[in-house]
Amino acid sequence: MSAISDGVKRTIVAALVLVAVLLAAGDAFAHASLIRSSPADGAVLATAPSSFALTFSEPTSPLSLKLVGPDGSARVLDKSVLRDATIDIVAPTGLDKGSYVLSWRVVSEDGHPVGGSAVFSIGAPSARPSTTAIELIDWPIRSGIWLAKIITYAALFIGIGGVFFQSWIGDRSASVGRLCTGLIIAGLAAVSLSVGFQGLDALGLGLANIARPTVWSVGFSTSLGNLASLAIAAMVTALVAMLSRGRIARPLSLIALALVGIALASSGHASAAQPQWLTRPAVFLHGVGIAFWAGALVPLASALASRPSESTNVLRRFSKLAPWFVLPLIAAGVLLAFVQVRALDALWTTAYGNILVVKLALLVPLFALAVVNRLWLTKPAQGGEARATMRLRRSVGFELVLIVLIFAIAGLWRFTPPPRALAEAAAVPAVLHIHSDKAMADLEITPGKAGPVRASIAIMTGDFGPLDAKAVTLVLSNPDVGIEAIRRPAQISADGVWSVEGLNLPVPGIWKARIDILISDFELVKLEDKIELRP
Amino acid sequence: MFVRTLNLKSILTATAFLATGATAVSAHVTLENQLAPVASTYKAVFRVGHGCEGKPTIKIRVQIPEGVIAVKPQPKPGWTVAKVKGPYDKAYDYYGTPTSEGVKEIVWSGGSLPDDEYDEFVLRAYLTGDLVAGSTLYFPIVQECPDGAVERWIEIPAAGKSADDYEQPAPGVKLQPKE
Repeated sequence: MSAISDGVKRTIVAALVLVAVLLAAGDAFAHASLIRSSPADGAVLATAPSSFALTFSEPTSPLSLKLVGPDGSARVLDKSVLRDATIDIVAPTGLDKGSYVLSWRVVSEDGHPVGGSAVFSIGAPSARPSTTAIELIDWPIRSGIWLAKIITYAALFIGIGGVFFQSWIGDRSASVGRLCTGLIIAGLAAVSLSVGFQGLDALGLGLANIARPTVWSVGFSTSLGNLASLAIAAMVTALVAMLSRGRIARPLSLIALALVGIALASSGHASAAQPQWLTRPAVFLHGVGIAFWAGALVPLASALASRPSESTNVLRRFSKLAPWFVLPLIAAGVLLAFVQVRALDALWTTAYGNILVVKLALLVPLFALAVVNRLWLTKPAQGGEARATMRLRRSVGFELVLIVLIFAIAGLWRFTPPPRALAEAAAVPAVLHIHSDKAMADLEITPGKAGPVRASIAIMTGDFGPLDAKAVTLVLSNPDVGIEAIRRPAQISADGVWSVEGLNLPVPGIWKARIDILISDFELVKLEDKIELRP
Repeated sequence: MFVRTLNLKSILTATAFLATGATAVSAHVTLENQLAPVASTYKAVFRVGHGCEGKPTIKIRVQIPEGVIAVKPQPKPGWTVAKVKGPYDKAYDYYGTPTSEGVKEIVWSGGSLPDDEYDEFVLRAYLTGDLVAGSTLYFPIVQECPDGAVERWIEIPAAGKSADDYEQPAPGVKLQPKE
């Protein structure tokens, strides 16, 4: 007892007890929890706010206050004032429209730092433009695919359509027959080659590999394989019809025309669109309509040129039948354009839309010519007026040029995904599977990119049994850009899947996702992993 | 004289209190005595210093961990106490009597503790000799407030982690060797 004097000992003990009491008293204080924020989490504001406010359950002092902008950049908010349990923060000026994360980290009286985030938007939630994938383009193969497409179209529409016209409407001239036969034979070659090009394109190989069998089998295994088979069937049927010239020519040419529609409906962007019960018949009608119209042009021109007297009957029959093919052709075309383009601005913001605009621009003079022919030239030409016949022939020739141009433009669609497909690709969810011995969860964030999203969470026990949880909470944070936890309770739906609606994750990249599963009143399982959001 | 009774031992005790007090700083609902020997009777004082997000506390549920028997809550004026009984995982020795069932949960309800007031909820229990000295015994707690608001102090730290690593840790008591 002699080393330390009583007075010193007393002081030490008193000090230690005092500190202990103070620290123990700290137990009575809670972590601060956020009671409300301004702007509120999820709020959409008309104009940029001049200040932010965070109200906690007790007084706090801010450790870090950040504002993460729509571009993902974080700004430190260093102008803040404490007012009781509320932190008033001066907002930066010049905030653009889009989604922001107000991220806070504060220390409450118990000395324990707590953090959280509130997401709000100015104007509207940021919708990020989907980035276009950069890929290397093999121009010889692209050109090959495109040329093969144009020749195939010419064979299917002008060739087979011509055969149909000759057997059903008139003009059996041998020269037109030879042209159609030639086009169809070229088409057979082109459509066969397109399978090889398709294979090269799918495998990413150069033109030198065209002889490799795998290239062809891969090309054939795509939906183009169906189109090629059916197109070849259509072409062969048309050739037989052309050569037979007998009684079977009519049914055969009708079958060939139908096969053109079926072939086109079997492949391509439009046929792949939903709902298929609508899009496939639409493509069929569109294709058959084009074949009827385009196929009529050469025989009509020929009839008008060489046998004006005979052409009267031909014109009459064609004019009578035309509305039955052309009106469905237009209706189907309009329908498919709506299905594929969806939003009007896609017409100028996407390559697919641009092509559609050019195609529509070419259709205007085409329809104008058709109307002029029908209303002003057909009647006088039928009456045998030489000048009208001459002008009608020239006009039909010009129509033919326009149609081939349209084939060339439409052939470019092979290389541009429609806005519908772009939208579908953008909507692909980000998924995460987390497995522990107690529980597992499948988290799906849809769409899997930054911006407004919804999350769905399927939970099971660690051994794949059903898990009847009392509550599920999704906690997302992005430490890289300083976004503290965004906490949202999930709601259970009828199918047993938990979901969080109206989430807004404004920044792409790696997010930390945590799923808190309350298994019973007293048992909580936390599953945590990383999930990546596309830009 | 009082001062004369102070010696090195009292300094150490105060230091230990300081150390254990410090570990509890982050918890919300905490235990007053955070050290207890096994095979002894323990008075658990649950300290509640806040409601749920500003709302008053209207119910406190305490889950009794396995190995804790002969549980007796202390009645509390203004509160109704309920004892939820059930079978234990095994029979425990209570001064020679094998005990295989008893209180598994204590529920205090009917009162209202405002967010800006402090109160304590007390129970007495026997910590059986089957509990391992050196480990921490956790009492998961559910704190309920009006309008469905609830705080769950139910997280039990995994091996190698401390209560500070969790947002809502259960209050715990560090078990000491049998005295």
